[in-house]
Amino acid sequence: MSEADDGSRRAGKVTGPASDLVGSEFAEVEASVDTTANGPRLRLEDRRTGRVRFLDALELETIIWLPEGHLQLLLDPSADRWREEPGR
Amino acid sequence: MTATVRGTAASMPRPDYATLIQSDRVHGSLYTSEQIFAEELERIWYRTWVYIGHASEVPEPGDYVRKSVGPQDLIMTRDRDGGLHVLLNRCAHRANLVCEDARGNSKSFRCPYHGWTYRNTGELIGYPYRQGYEGNGKLDLAMGRVPRVDSYHGFVFGSFAADGPTLAEHLGAAAGEIDRLARLSPDGQVQLNAGWLKHRTRANWKLLAENETDGYHPQFVHSSIFSVTGSPIAALYSDKSSAVTRNLGNGHSENDLRPEFRNFGEPMRWFGTTQARVPDYVARMREVHGEAAEQILVEGAPHVMIFPNLFIAEIQVFVIQPLSAGECIQHSTAVQLKGAPELNKRMVSQSIGSVGPAGMLLADDTEMYERNQRGVAMLQPEWLDLRRGLHRERVDERGLTIGTATDETAMRGFWSHYRTLMEAAA
Repeated sequence: MSEADDGSRRAGKVTGPASDLVGSEFAEVEASVDTTANGPRLRLEDRRTGRVRFLDALELETIIWLPEGHLQLLLDPSADRWREEPGR
Repeated sequence: MTATVRGTAASMPRPDYATLIQSDRVHGSLYTSEQIFAEELERIWYRTWVYIGHASEVPEPGDYVRKSVGPQDLIMTRDRDGGLHVLLNRCAHRANLVCEDARGNSKSFRCPYHGWTYRNTGELIGYPYRQGYEGNGKLDLAMGRVPRVDSYHGFVFGSFAADGPTLAEHLGAAAGEIDRLARLSPDGQVQLNAGWLKHRTRANWKLLAENETDGYHPQFVHSSIFSVTGSPIAALYSDKSSAVTRNLGNGHSENDLRPEFRNFGEPMRWFGTTQARVPDYVARMREVHGEAAEQILVEGAPHVMIFPNLFIAEIQVFVIQPLSAGECIQHSTAVQLKGAPELNKRMVSQSIGSVGPAGMLLADDTEMYERNQRGVAMLQPEWLDLRRGLHRERVDERGLTIGTATDETAMRGFWSHYRTLMEAAA
């Protein structure tokens, strides 16, 4: 039996003319630049739940400058999303 | 505290390896006994240095690939600082597999069962609904790690034993063969990034390890591909050949084809081509190595079996993954040499022709492996003969034992080392 490894089947697939899927086995997020507002913003959609968030340029710049440790704190499942008390 | 319940080995009398492994023959049960396989896991696969993967498979921070050592499912990762880690693919909570894809890029891993999340170094970041554990950071848990990991020219090896010989000690004389391969890259770097094929094989892993440097079988088993391609390789493995089979020690061995290639003195003959067909590569090698380039281009790539699971076959690499006494997986890929695009393209196409789904070389060998596995289950005769060339073995200038191109010198070296490991104290 022969089988080719194909770990890239979810990665980098273009889903439309202006959007891309950034996906792994852990999460799948559709990213596009939205131009319906007065200025451009990044539209992110969690493909597994349909939840959408818009990020403006200043917010994106802030993410770029986040220290790695801060980002890691946000990755804790119970930091915001899966917690007994209401999220922040 | 470490609590270990051993398998069959603790409750059954141990096999008498001194009787089963002799200097000129080995017993058939070594290939069929599940008890012996359980002892091999304990004494070889979970103790000595075993090849895991290549650093070029995880070039970017966040890259990961799934690998294996026997039945152990591993994840090789590259952290944000460039460090390389080999984790056991098991959640510290309920032991689910954390990663499913063969490869990807993610700086953290989230177990799909209950959402426990880890850095790609194995450190636990957190878990959902923290109050069930009285908050975050309350559990002293992490993904398992292979205790010792080291690499040589990007070839990453691991050992499940916390102590023991170093990788350099384990590789010994075989390290020089990896040097030879790396030297064929104008940039001095081997890359194994062309993708892997997996062939499930119903045979004991040792049949493969022995066959990799058996120079007696190619003229028979591979006569079809040699005739179809008009390959001059067959002549290298005849009794008239000046090539030698070398026991490199520690179970490693090689078919040293350099004496034959030196006789011809033709650059790139080892690759089945001429220097006129790969002009840019030859020019770059001469630019980098000067006068030494001639020898490198004439002598070519190694054909070396590195105990217990890494086989470098000139332009391809095979990794043997044992699953049971009667089953294993052969992982194969084309060698890629950094800075040598002319060769890389050809190495991929030649590999597809030899080990791809419709390839002839690996299919021929696998047919023999599976027939062999059926054969060793027959009751009589009980032994496999290892005598070929025993009377004409000699010691070379490096103090290593060599035989002719078709002699079973490599197998005898394999079994000698195997016996040492299997007889060692638990």
